Amino acid sequence: MNLAIRTEHLTKVYGGRVIAVNDLNLTVPEGAIYGLLGPNGAGKTTTIRLLLGLQRPTAGTAEVYGQPAGVNATNVRRAIGFLPTNPSFPGHLRPIEYLDLLGKLCRLPREVRQPRLTSLLRAVGLTGATEQRIQTFSTGMCTRLGIAASLLADPPLLLWDEPTAGLDPAARRFTLNLIRELAPARTVVVATHILGDIDQICDHVGVMLEGRMIFSGTIQQMRRQLSGDEISLELEGPDDAVARLVEAAGGLSDMAVELRPPRTLAVRIAEPGRRAAALSELLCHVDGSGCSLHAIRSGRNETEHAYLQLLQEDQAHGFNRFDIRLPNAMDAGRSDPQA
Amino acid sequence: MPAGAILKHELGGLLASWLVRLWFVATVVLTLLILAANWGTTQTAPMLQALLFPYLVFPWFLIVMLLGISPVTGSRLDSLADGILSRPVTRYEYLLAAWAARVAAVLAVYLVVMAPVALLSVFARRGVADDPVTAYGVIATLAVVGLIQTFLVTLGFLVGTLLRRPMLAAVVLVFTWLPVNLVLGTFSLEQFSPLTMYQAVPTLLRTPWTAVEEPDAPASNREDAEALAAQAEQFMRLLSGHSAPHARQQQGGFFEPRVFEGLSVTRLLAGYGLPALGALLLSLWVFNRRDL
Repeated sequence: MNLAIRTEHLTKVYGGRVIAVNDLNLTVPEGAIYGLLGPNGAGKTTTIRLLLGLQRPTAGTAEVYGQPAGVNATNVRRAIGFLPTNPSFPGHLRPIEYLDLLGKLCRLPREVRQPRLTSLLRAVGLTGATEQRIQTFSTGMCTRLGIAASLLADPPLLLWDEPTAGLDPAARRFTLNLIRELAPARTVVVATHILGDIDQICDHVGVMLEGRMIFSGTIQQMRRQLSGDEISLELEGPDDAVARLVEAAGGLSDMAVELRPPRTLAVRIAEPGRRAAALSELLCHVDGSGCSLHAIRSGRNETEHAYLQLLQEDQAHGFNRFDIRLPNAMDAGRSDPQA
Repeated sequence: MPAGAILKHELGGLLASWLVRLWFVATVVLTLLILAANWGTTQTAPMLQALLFPYLVFPWFLIVMLLGISPVTGSRLDSLADGILSRPVTRYEYLLAAWAARVAAVLAVYLVVMAPVALLSVFARRGVADDPVTAYGVIATLAVVGLIQTFLVTLGFLVGTLLRRPMLAAVVLVFTWLPVNLVLGTFSLEQFSPLTMYQAVPTLLRTPWTAVEEPDAPASNREDAEALAAQAEQFMRLLSGHSAPHARQQQGGFFEPRVFEGLSVTRLLAGYGLPALGALLLSLWVFNRRDL
């Protein structure tokens, strides 16, 4: 498998006080749409900035298409189209002037630069705003311009940090559709804490917490590994009827039942081959309990639940999260969930 | 291509900024006022000296240093990281181009105003006694003052890069530069102070080209080297707390009021050029080590 991004023990500590990235081992396969997921402050943006060479790692290495990232690694940055969160541009320029400047920085000849920037402005819907200075742009327009800027040099890898932050629903839909359209020919890494975005566009996901990667694999693997065969039944009815149902369901074989507020029955079926039979038995009990069934949801579809479960599990591991193995030993021992 | 594009972009931003525009207008107005006040009464050398007062003593050093501060400080750093430094550009390329743009903007304002005025002062018939101002003297004076402006921009550049906060950098620069004449005097380096340079302008303006191309030029270079070595020794002695007797007597008549026979353009160029180069290299090193 060819890798677009590979980091080994990547660590960033600010001023000897704040750990932003903590011994991060990240692998992004070529051609993937990789969602870098994590709560605010998880280290997603710092990881991207380390890959771009905007920051220096305290320890560890980062490679993009096999080339080491660094402050003056122009060959790495040539392969990356970067979209920052709420991008900040020189306000006195107009979109064409700005894109033309970036084209020159990317060493694009004029005959390539000019047609490409006009076609990109059209693609992101900014053709009508070419007369305006960037300082008059709304958040959505700035993001669109940032998208055009990231695509100008036609890079094979896109690093987009919170691309839907601050966008209205239409602009958000436009951005997600664009990622889908771009994906076949490029590797796209989308850092976000919005699970809906990940669910819609990503085929791979990495979950970061407190600077560490607590999960990396396909999105199906994450759901399967965490939610397993959990099924949620949303009920309506008197409290005593729900309590009786929970008691009765607890007696069924191969099944663990948990009541979650307000009246959701979380059911985990131990034997995957008996899912239909066990569920059928449970539904018979529901009918007889005096409760009415509102909805049935499969845990396989709930990325949010899987994500929250990952975070909870990581917190619960406590000191077990400490890995004393030496870097070389870890190279041999750590397995990629992909593999 | 990237360095040229950044230079053009930075220069465009500077020339569009209200600070540079206001400075240019103020420079033109002040120059015309000084010119009008001295036109029929003052000889060429003292008049050019008066015209250079704002650049050498007060107040343009403030603006020149402020112009140097801005490229990698405050909120500008965000747009710089998002827009330029995340592209295939090295930090050296960016910083050198940004520095060159600032130097070019300052020298453009200075020369666009001073060069025509100097020519006008030298060639116009003004009804005052003839003054033996030489072409070499005028060119050397303009070049040395230009170098001092370059040094000031670079100093602002260094402090801005080191401190990151534009306001703090401005305060530090003002309080560093204001007492510079006193500090240089303490270390017996008056020759390099802007005030001394200002006092030496008439002498330099009247220096003939032949005087610097005489056969004993190697001896003159040796004198320069000896003088620099003596000043460095004096500087180190003062830093280490030792006294330095008779330091001034060794300088000959240079420090006598209004007598500047010992004035050396080479020494002045080295005195401002080398620190400017050092400050630029230090800025590059600091910026290259920084997280954005």
